[in-house]
Amino acid sequence: MDENLKELIINNSDSIVDNWMDEVGRIKAGNYTASISDELYENTNREFVNVIFTSIQNQGSSKVVEEFSEKIINLGWPLSYITDGLQIFRRVTIDFLLAQADQVDSNHFSIVLTSVDEWIEPLIRQLVNEYSGSWENILSLQRVALQELSAPLIPVMERITVMPLIGTIDTDRAKLIMENLLEGTIKHNSEVVLIDITGVPVVDTMVAHHIIQAAEAVRLIGSTCILVGIRPEIAQTIVNIGIDLSKFLTRSTLKKGFTKALEITEREVVDLHAKNQGIEDIMHSLKGE
Amino acid sequence: MNPRSCVNIHKEWDIVGARQLGREMAKEIGFGTVDQARIATAVSELARNIYLYAKNGQVCFEYIYTNSQKGILMTAVDTGPGIKDISSVMQDGYTTSGGLGAGLPGVKRLMDDFDIESAVGEGTKIKAIKWIR
Amino acid sequence: MRIPILKLHNYLLISIQTEIDDQTAIKFQEDLLAKIHKTGAIGVVIDLTSVDIIDSFIAKVLGDVVSMSDLMGARVVLTGIQPAVAMTLIDLGIHLQNVPTALDLEQGLVKLHQELGG
Repeated sequence: MDENLKELIINNSDSIVDNWMDEVGRIKAGNYTASISDELYENTNREFVNVIFTSIQNQGSSKVVEEFSEKIINLGWPLSYITDGLQIFRRVTIDFLLAQADQVDSNHFSIVLTSVDEWIEPLIRQLVNEYSGSWENILSLQRVALQELSAPLIPVMERITVMPLIGTIDTDRAKLIMENLLEGTIKHNSEVVLIDITGVPVVDTMVAHHIIQAAEAVRLIGSTCILVGIRPEIAQTIVNIGIDLSKFLTRSTLKKGFTKALEITEREVVDLHAKNQGIEDIMHSLKGE
Repeated sequence: MNPRSCVNIHKEWDIVGARQLGREMAKEIGFGTVDQARIATAVSELARNIYLYAKNGQVCFEYIYTNSQKGILMTAVDTGPGIKDISSVMQDGYTTSGGLGAGLPGVKRLMDDFDIESAVGEGTKIKAIKWIR
Repeated sequence: MRIPILKLHNYLLISIQTEIDDQTAIKFQEDLLAKIHKTGAIGVVIDLTSVDIIDSFIAKVLGDVVSMSDLMGARVVLTGIQPAVAMTLIDLGIHLQNVPTALDLEQGLVKLHQELGG
């Protein structure tokens, strides 16, 4: 790196910063950052340009950069703010350095370009890395969150479990659903498992295939699967695309499915007649008077 | 870490040896129990194919890493008669030994990537990869 | 290696505890059929709780033994198939369509009892 140039920049930081602030201020209007207050925008800009200078001054001091990028990410400012800012800094600095020189030959020109690039590039790299790192982090967190949402298993009563499915089922989710379903069936010792597809928007061949596989696996581990929540349009698609569900128990609603599950486990819902009995007693006693 | 572990397949008991090694290596690199079972079963199918059709061969395992994921690669090599028509053995239900015919298409479904090369009279080489989800 | 077969009234109970190789599986098939013949058992429970691999060969042997026992008048129930094993079988395309299953040994016995009417 050319030390003379570096010194020149640092000594003239004020005028470079002014030029930079001007240009950055100009891109604010009609831009992503338009909704940000002028004061905050200017403060952040000043901090940004300080970070740039600190980084140029002491090579490899990434701590400041890290803190700054963290702040920008937390504020939710877009990555383009950073890249635009650094591009402008590059342009402004090159303009400034070239204007300072008595004569500009191609050699000097190339030295200026190289030096400025050497200052800016590590900064771009680090800031972009911080940004994408935080995105990846968020992405993986959301993926985990989605997986947790994915396939809940509800032991509604002894020997009967319900798994409501919501949303689109792709191959990855299908595997997860199957694992949860089978592990849960064993854990809760469920003789009957109801899979409720009320919340599945579209049942195509692929989704049906996954559901059939799940039902067959449930049978293999020794339990019985009832597919419930089959709306009229889903019944139509299933038959129209030629999927054979005749081997499986199916019901239109969870309620009907649950009744079937009770039947399989040899139980039934009994009204205790408590209310009716009470009324009859009253009627009876009235008659007696 | 041993980059590559192999089991020679000569006798029937070697099938069990191969799947135990496959399961162990799958467990070590961090596969869950379900994928361990998938891998071990795929090994069992491939090793049995070698034992039944080629008599002599080898099943090898190694870990593979890319930027974003890691997994296990298994290679089953034999010097048997080879397969004349690969597309037909990759059809569900194809069998020449009176098994269930789950064979190779089943292995393909158990694993993530599957590749087969075969030359009649020279032998068969099958590569299959399972990635950690 | 031999898989032990226990007799309980009219039923036979088998719990497979070891890694099964092909030879053991075939031996087991023969032993079970011979035992059904000898004891006149009407129901069989094969518990697979401790089995962590069933490949296409073992699956075929199990499926066959169910059909064969049926022919000899003994109903077979497979119990305790592990989730991982079930998923692997599904991936392999093996559905054991005509094989009765139950969650565990106890429920397997209940199932046999119901089906055979005591």
